[in-house]
Amino acid sequence: MPDSTKKQSPPAHFDFKDVEALQRYLSPQARIHSAKRTGLSAREQRQLKCAIKYARFLALLPFTT
Amino acid sequence: MFLLENQEARKGLNAARDGLRHSLEKHGIGVQVLRFWGERKLAYKIGTRRRAVYFLGWLEATGEAVNAAKRDFYLVGPVFRCLFIREEQIPPEELALGIQPIDEAAVQIPEDKPEAPAEGPYVAEPEPAPEVVPAAAAPASSEPVAAESAAPAESR
Repeated sequence: MPDSTKKQSPPAHFDFKDVEALQRYLSPQARIHSAKRTGLSAREQRQLKCAIKYARFLALLPFTT
Repeated sequence: MFLLENQEARKGLNAARDGLRHSLEKHGIGVQVLRFWGERKLAYKIGTRRRAVYFLGWLEATGEAVNAAKRDFYLVGPVFRCLFIREEQIPPEELALGIQPIDEAAVQIPEDKPEAPAEGPYVAEPEPAPEVVPAAAAPASSEPVAAESAAPAESR
């Protein structure tokens, strides 16, 4: 199996300051990917959602592009 | 985390940090860590601002103190956005940083001038001059019209 198709393990904690890590879970239009696509559990997806929303509020990430 | 205006931060990062710390302590907030996090371009414009200076702090405060501090920040001062998040404990690596002086020579803060409007100021176009009608022709044309319009009313 090529490396690009391997499922990446999520970080233990989603940090709103880690913009590059959060951008991996955003579409080109800056929408959050679904849990089906990210492969995260419900709890992890909620943590991701909160981290992205904090980053958006602080203008680290865009609301839309 | 606090977002400060670039123009204020250019006057001195240490002074900006001290002002921020003073504002927090005024409301009874214990500042454990307050450090310069970075200067970067904003992902979207906030008012006329395109860039901002970020400060990251770890504080000990009650909910009322946080609300009072937020109200104070948004009323006046260089802080134009702030985010308070509840955490159970301060990470030891952050706590070790504490409040240290910032090396201002190592940080370059570009000027964030508000962009000029795309178009120039509005200038009213001069009105065209009214056409001059000969004075003798005007009464001659108006009399028959008035007579015609009055005639049907009289017949009724």
